[in-house]
Amino acid sequence: MRTKQLVASWLAGTAVATFLLGMTTPSAVAADLKLEAQLIWGTADAKSPDPNHKPVDPEVAKKLKTLPFKWANYFEVNRRQFVVPESGVRKEIMSKDCEIRVKNLGRAMVELALVGRGAPVGKITQALPKKELLVTGGNAPNFTAWFVVLKQAE
Amino acid sequence: MMDHASQLELQAFFDGELPENEAHDMANRLARESDAAALLTELRNTSKALKGFESDIKLPESREFFWSKIERDIARLEQAEPAVRAPEPLLARWRRLLVPASAFAALVLMVVVAARQWELPIGFGSGVRPAPVLETALADSGAFTYRDQSEGITLVWLSYPGEKGVADSGPADTLQ
Repeated sequence: MRTKQLVASWLAGTAVATFLLGMTTPSAVAADLKLEAQLIWGTADAKSPDPNHKPVDPEVAKKLKTLPFKWANYFEVNRRQFVVPESGVRKEIMSKDCEIRVKNLGRAMVELALVGRGAPVGKITQALPKKELLVTGGNAPNFTAWFVVLKQAE
Repeated sequence: MMDHASQLELQAFFDGELPENEAHDMANRLARESDAAALLTELRNTSKALKGFESDIKLPESREFFWSKIERDIARLEQAEPAVRAPEPLLARWRRLLVPASAFAALVLMVVVAARQWELPIGFGSGVRPAPVLETALADSGAFTYRDQSEGITLVWLSYPGEKGVADSGPADTLQ
């Protein structure tokens, strides 16, 4: 009798847990992705010659400084926040030469396509959970670098 | 030889329970039949023996007090018998089932939430992330990817220069 009660309890618990788990799985929550893209300039100089540039968020700067690069300072050139519905694509102009296209593949997977001066440069498919960064970058003049940082918006 | 009914009749005679006319008949029979007389003698001897045996047993207390003790013991044993359990209410049965079930569900939920929070690799779609899939449009791509799991950062480095012709002229010494 006691064993039956125990087994019944476990079965009921499993059912409840499965239900709760189903309620919290990514597929059950809203599939829209609220994203933030930043165009960033990396340099060894402490100050940017462009007064429109401002230092990046400390949190992003801290993560960028963990990368194996020599640049000590990172400046935000542009920032865009946008929402991409599941299976949808969103195009954002980050600068006159830089454009990104973000596709929401579902389950926090994104496909980031970079377009430079109208021509495709590269396409990256990667999971992008909250608090993680997907960073693309390349060389820029005078031993500096450009970065496009994509993350889920808070 | 006396049959069983006659034996019982003789015993009733011995106990003085027969009516007078039957007792008279039994007395005549005893005078005639030796086996009836022998049985009567045996009954008398047995009765004497039993009376003598009972007279040797003396209670250390009065008869009333002795029986009152037995009565109290019987009452005590009756009270000590387990009471018939009343049927358990349905709500109590459900509570007994749901309390451990809820505890188990809460435990599972905590594990799931913790796994999502701290990204434990327990197979819920988080944990160690696969390397990004990169397709580059550049012919001589020096592209590479770098992943720092602890910081939660994925880098895809492209050889595409920010301003064509300028970055290409400098040495590729951007890495430390």
